[in-house]
Order: sequence, then C-alpha cells, then structure tokens
Amino acid sequence: MAGASPKAERDDLILSVRGLSIDVDQGGGSTRLVDNVSFDVHRNEVVGIVGESGSGKSLTMLAVLGLLSPPLRIAAGSIVLKGREITTLNFEEMRAIRGKSMSIVFQDPMTSLNPVLRIGTQIGEAVRLHNPHMSKADIEARVIELLAMVGIPRPETQHRRFPNEFSGGMRQRVMIAIAMANEPDLLIADEPTTALDVTIQAQVMQVLAEVRQRTGAAMVLITHDLGLVAERADRVGVMYSGQIVELAETEPLFARPSHPYTAGLISSLPRIDHRVPQLYSIPGFVPDPAKIPPGCAFHPRCAVSAGRSACRTISPSLQELSATHLAACHFAEDSSAWRERQITTAEAVSEKPSIQAAIATETILKVDALSKEFKIGGSLLRRGERLRALHDVSFELKRGRTLGLVGESGCGKSTLARVLLRLLEASGGRVFLNGEPFSELSGSKLRKRRKDLQVVFQDPYSSLDPRMTVHDVIAEPLRINKQYDPRRVDDLLAHVGLSPEVGSRRSPEFSGGQRQRIAIARALALKPDVLILDEAVSALDVSIQAQIINLLESLQKEFGLTYVFISHDLSVVRHIADEVAVMYLGRFIEYGPTEQIFNSPAHPYTQALLSAIPHMRRESQRIILSGDLPNPMAPPSGCAFRTRCFRAQSECAAAEPPLLARTGDQHMSACYFPGASEVAASAAQTESRAPQSP
Amino acid sequence: MTRRVNASQLIALLLIAAMTVLVAAVPLLPSYDPYTQNLAGSLVPIGGSAMDGKFYPLGSDTLGRDILSRLALAGQVSILIGLGAVIVSLVIGVALGLIAGYFRGLVETIIMGLADLQLSIPRVLLLIAVTAIVGPSVTNLALLLGLTSWVAYGRVARGMALSLREREFVLAARTQGATASWNIRKHLLPNVLPQMLIVGSYEFGQIIVMEASLSYLGLGVQPPLPSWGMMVSEGQTYLALAPSLSMLPSFALFTLVAGLQFLSQSFTSEGEVVSAPQQGKA
Repeated sequence: MAGASPKAERDDLILSVRGLSIDVDQGGGSTRLVDNVSFDVHRNEVVGIVGESGSGKSLTMLAVLGLLSPPLRIAAGSIVLKGREITTLNFEEMRAIRGKSMSIVFQDPMTSLNPVLRIGTQIGEAVRLHNPHMSKADIEARVIELLAMVGIPRPETQHRRFPNEFSGGMRQRVMIAIAMANEPDLLIADEPTTALDVTIQAQVMQVLAEVRQRTGAAMVLITHDLGLVAERADRVGVMYSGQIVELAETEPLFARPSHPYTAGLISSLPRIDHRVPQLYSIPGFVPDPAKIPPGCAFHPRCAVSAGRSACRTISPSLQELSATHLAACHFAEDSSAWRERQITTAEAVSEKPSIQAAIATETILKVDALSKEFKIGGSLLRRGERLRALHDVSFELKRGRTLGLVGESGCGKSTLARVLLRLLEASGGRVFLNGEPFSELSGSKLRKRRKDLQVVFQDPYSSLDPRMTVHDVIAEPLRINKQYDPRRVDDLLAHVGLSPEVGSRRSPEFSGGQRQRIAIARALALKPDVLILDEAVSALDVSIQAQIINLLESLQKEFGLTYVFISHDLSVVRHIADEVAVMYLGRFIEYGPTEQIFNSPAHPYTQALLSAIPHMRRESQRIILSGDLPNPMAPPSGCAFRTRCFRAQSECAAAEPPLLARTGDQHMSACYFPGASEVAASAAQTESRAPQSP
Repeated sequence: MTRRVNASQLIALLLIAAMTVLVAAVPLLPSYDPYTQNLAGSLVPIGGSAMDGKFYPLGSDTLGRDILSRLALAGQVSILIGLGAVIVSLVIGVALGLIAGYFRGLVETIIMGLADLQLSIPRVLLLIAVTAIVGPSVTNLALLLGLTSWVAYGRVARGMALSLREREFVLAARTQGATASWNIRKHLLPNVLPQMLIVGSYEFGQIIVMEASLSYLGLGVQPPLPSWGMMVSEGQTYLALAPSLSMLPSFALFTLVAGLQFLSQSFTSEGEVVSAPQQGKA
C-alpha cells in the first residue's frame, strides 16, 4: 500500500508498519483486535495515534515493541524498524533492540518505577544493559547528565533518592530519562501525561519535545486526548475498532476531517475558547471486538452514512484523498461537509440559554467560611501535623444554576464535596441547604435531610455494588427511605436513556458510560435539589463524555436541578457551569461568572491553567508554571501560589491575599496583582525552564 | 461460559468424595455396628474374620469393635464438630470484623485488641482448661473451638471492610440516608462472604486437627463415642502389634483435611473476590 507512506521520498524512515493484524485466541476461536494497520514514522516526526479505549492503539504499539504475549499474537503484517523486519526476531534479538533503538514511556509514573530502588540505579540499569562494559563512574556521570536533560534540579544529589520522594511529574521525567538513556531512534509514549495535572502535563510534554530535539528521535504519541495530539503531533492516525480510519497531517485533519468518526469526535469536545449551545454526541458505544458490525464498523453510529447500503455491506479501505490525507470512508467528502454544518450551528448561538433566569432567585446552597483540617500522625503524647485541606470557603448557589469547581489534584475540591455531603465533618464553618443549617444536623434528622443533596462519583466501576442488579442499585435509595416502587425505578432508567429490561442485569455487564447513567439515575431517585458531580465525566471516553454532559444538561432543565460540578477539565467546566471557582491548596483563589473567568482571568494561576490546556488551535504564547504543588503540610507563607507565580513580589510572602471583588462586581480573586496576563505570559515563557526543587 | 475444573479442585473433590462415602455410606451397610464388643474378635487384622466367623473389612480393635464402622461414626463426629465450630467462628468473626472495620475508632481498637489478646493465649492450653470445667461434649467442643478461632475471620473481614467502607457505592448509600447497619448488611457482608468461605474451608481442616489433638489427650468426645483423634490415641498402645489401629484414623484425618486444604486453595487461586479498590483522585 504505497498510499500509507505519503512521504516515501524521504529516506529517513524509522518505523514502517504494514498490514498489521493482531488476534486474541480464546475459547477455541480467535478474535481480531487490530486489523490491517499501516503507517510510517520518520526521523524527527511525532505521529499521534488517537482512539477511545478498546480501539487497539496500545496493542499496536505493544506489537511494535514485541511485547505481545499469548493469547495475543500477530496474525499478519510486517513491522520494519530502520530497514530491519522485527516480527520474526526472537526474544534475545528483540531485547537488544528494546531500550536501544526504541523505548517506551508508560502512562502511570506511580507504578512504572520500582519503589525500592533509587532512581539513579534504575536509570543506570537502562544504561548498563546496552553498555555492559561501561565503568561505574561513567554510568553515574551519564545518569546525572540524563537527569539534567529532563530538567530535574540538582541531579548530583537527586539521583540517590527513591521514587516515592518525587511527585508524579518528576517521576515521569525520570521515566523519560530511562527511555532516552540510549538515545533511541523511536520513542513510544503511551498516554504519557494522562495521569498528570494539566500544568504538570505542559511541563512534561515540553521536556519530551526538548529531549527529542536534542537526539532527533521520532515519537509515536498514543493518547485519547485530541487536544494533546493537535498540539504536539505532526501527523495523526485515528483508530476505531482496531483499524486506522483516518491518517493525515495534523492541521488538515482537524480543519477538514474526512472520516465521520473523526468529525464526530472533534464535534463532541467542549471548547475552551467559546461555549457551544449543545455538544454533538456520537450515539451508541464502541462495539465488542467479537461483534463488529458488517461493512464499515462505524456505520451504526455514523451521522453521515444515513443507512446507505455501501456502508452496511462493504468495509471501506484507507483511500488517498490527497498525497498526505487518507480516510477509510465511502463518503469522505460528506464528512467534511457535515463538520462544516456542525461548526455553523455551534457558532449560531453561543450564549447559554438562561433557563435559570426565571427561577434563579432562591438561594439553595449557602456555604459560609467552611474549613477542614486533617490531623496527620501524632499520638497520645505528641501532637501530629495538621493538613489544611479546606480554608475559608464561602459561596452561594441559586436554584437551577451550576457551580464549576476546578483545580489540580490536591487542591481540595473533592474534600469540599465530601464535607458538603457530610461524609467528612467540617472543622469550621457552616453549610445551609434550603435555608436550613445542614452542617449542624445529626442522627436521624441528618439522614432524612440527606436526600436533598446527592452525589455522582468519578469512577463508574467503584460506584456501583458489583453484587447488585441494576434495578436493586437504583431501588436502594428508595428502599432506604421506604419509598420503594418498581415503576419509579423503570421511570428513572428511562430518564437516563436506559430501557427497563437492563434492570435485571448486574453492573459489571455494562460499559463505563452506561454505569455512569445508572449512577445518575440512583442519585436522582430521591428527587434531590442539589447534585454534586465529582469528576463525573472524567473517566469516560470523549464520545461518551459528550453523551453524559448532554444528559446532565437536559436533566437539569427538566427537574430544575442545581449542580456543583467538580472537574479538572476546564473545557467541560466552561461548557456546563454558570459560575466557576478555582481552587488552589484548599482555597478559592478566583470565583465569578464563567464567561468572566474564562475571558478575563484575574489570578495568575487561573491564567496558567487556561494556558496549559492542550489546544486544537496552537497557541503562540504559553505560560508553563515551574515546579510542583507545594507540600500542603507546610504551605508557603503569604500567598500559597507565590512559589510558582510569575508575578510574585516581596509583599506576596507577607500576607495571604483575601478573596475580594477586584476586577469586577462579581468577579472575585485572591491576588494582589490581578488582571491581564499579556506581559507576564511572555516573561514566563522565557524563564519557564528552571523547575524548582520537588 | 465454560468452567474448567483445575488440578487442585479435582484432587480436592476426589479426597472429599472418598471421605463422604466413608462417613455417609458405611452406616447404611448391614454390618454397621460401631459399639458392640466382641471378645472373641479382638485385634483382627485387616480383611480378617473373628473366631466366631464375624468378618471385619478393616479389622477390629482390642474390644473387638468393627474399625470400619467406628471410622465412619468418628468421621461424623469430627465433621459435625468442625462444621459447628466453623459456623460459630464465622458468624462471630465476620460480625466483629465488619463492625471494627466500618466504625473504626474506639470500637475497632477494642475489638482488635481482643483479637490480639485471644491470639496471645495458647489455644490448646485454654481449651484444656475450659473443657475441664464445662465437660467435653460434641456441642461444647464445637462451641469452644468456634469461640477460640474467630480471629482469622475477624482480621480478614476488618481488612476488607476498611477498603469497602471507602468505596463509592457505600458513600453513595450514606448520602442517601443509609444507616450503618444497612451498609454493613447490604454492601459489606455480601462482598466479604466469598472470602470468608475460603477462610472457612481452610479453618475447617484446622479445627478437625485441633479436635483430634484434644481427643488424643482425652479431652475430646468421651467413649464409647469415637473420634478420629481418640482412635489414634487408643491404637497407640498396640502400635507394634497392630499398627493399622492408629494408621487408619490418621489416614482418614489426613485425607479429609488435605481435601479441604486443596479446596480452599483452589478458591483462592480462582482469584478475585472483591477487585482492589480504585485509586480515587484526591
């Protein structure tokens, strides 16, 4: 297939995959998981592979690394690394290649480092494996050089530390140092920043770009994050059901997607730069590999096909639309046209239709100076340390509105949710629900009132009891409150878009998106006034995330619900929230109407957060914060953010800036120097490459 | 889904089936008679007959009682005591463990302190002291053995409860107004029970061995009711003359306990009972 190598004239081909198919053998038969995948990677190039879970993107790269083990096997195809066929190599020969010619950075830096070995030892191991005759001193010198390269401060002393002494971002830098130890030609990064916060993600991606620039390595970036590939990849392959459905250079792919799946994915992403009235959501879910629909695997979910017979009968192959743009669709032109229409409708109305205007007069949730301290350690004789998880949090929320709570991990947003729900007891402050002091109730009075405030958690797998049927799960709140009625359960299932028949099945049979629908139905069973959504869409694939967001919006209209929407994803918050609070180390550092926060952020942290989000439109200026979140047990004096702030002055260390309306009537911020970021941004750009101690 | 029996399960089933046949089928034989003494048929070897022509398939003891019949009856006694003790200890252990794990705090400190205390007293000595007071009957033995072996269940149940109470389905139930008792009954108990049955099948074997040791010391069930341990002890005197007297009950004991161990092993290797709690985002 000549078409798969649009740049065949270049002689710097690193990796060439042709017709790769991967099967899994089970129960006497075999199922195809990856089907006829072909692509090339050239020197200095970043190829992004995107797809939802189960699309086969990680399997493809495991095959390239020669790490497939039974029952998985390569059924057909060839993988050529620098002119050498590697599918036929034995284990020893592959071992000589892995870590030397190609290496991998995995997703989770918490588990991919050995906790009992010093990081210097682990990096040294990677060096020594391929340079057995190197002396100890030389290895140590190389380790220090590598650590310096990935931006770890004071590498001469830091290499003697253990992984648990490093933060997630620093560990991922160590992983990159290990991967780059032998200056491979090909670096495979499998969701390298998915487990990291957005400001840390920006740092790590920056490091990856720099080390690649130094060695000229090619990179395959596997991710579910369209924004990340848009920003970092030169070319992108989109995978669906084990096939590459579209392969093109990044800019044309996002500007004129030619496969309906790509077009649908792009349309279902919330935008950070403006609000769309409603997200497009791809209907249905990714098919089971054993039951892939005949014809085009995507046709049952396709918005373009409209049931045309070609889609139902003939599986389309990747075809050249231009020298560099390939798509596997019978009606590729229609896809771009469909996407154009989506953009027009999205831009037609950009203000959130204010359903709340009519009823948004009644304050439903009022939080007054809420704080929470955890005692860490300590014993009978010794006072333990105190961790200030929440500090002086106050807000008011009116009926029918949505408060978005954003911040990075450890900022206290989930603690706030738990304190509001009375799953944790507050150390100070009060919560009023419907005018009643909810935080002061106890015993059976508390249990009766709890129904007004319900929650949907992040993890759809841990939020449903695996031993219960779906009917019992949704019936549980009704049974607890002695209101059980089977018709009400069916009714709730219908509200979240599930049929009553699913009630008899157990939750492990369902996919993440369906489980989240079940969790929402359970939360609605007691007709709550306020629903706390704690990262409720964060664990879902893009197309499913759009479905759930749309469901939440329609439920809000239907029942006049009030939402507290907690998320680390600012685009989603911009889409769904009416007002936004940004948290840092347990405090609100900025709070106000959504449009004001996103259009004219006042606090430098908010500005940095917004700037760090990978974006489909490449930014020319970017603020990359240095360093990590400070230790919450010993926060910096004065403003807690000053250690990472590009605008910090000496007075920031003296006293904590209070949350005040500084840049507008309702727009509160906790910074002595609030306001526009233009000048500061460019300053930060130049000095961003000096991360501070972990 | 086709379930395939693995090697460890196969061995377990064979061993347990053999003992079940011994214990359940032998009493149905016309020759079943564990008590009648026959001085004419003392110490008949395996497969031999007494002077009065009575046939002993596994021989007879000094008093001329049929070993096969006595093995079967002793097996019933051992299994009854084992099962009773397992049920008693499982109920106590699971209840205390779940309460400790769910409520935490002082309750947990007290319950787990009790468990440590229990473990620090040698069990056999304690049993000897107590049986000496209350007297050894089948019921007393089952109760006593049960009361002294709840700690294994308690510790495992508490450990699982610690992680289950933080699972989001339990938190969600709390926000819906569920009481502690509701959560323990509806969420914790069903999720720890499979693991408890694994512990139970392991403990079953241990209890039977423990009962045999007590009987060997003369503190188990009282004659003429036999138990395997007592039969070993009775046969000891004639070890040189008729080794089968001690060997046969030992072998029966070994077969059943080995079967139970293999069974509990096969459950364990079958794997996940409760999947590990998901790491929540802070």
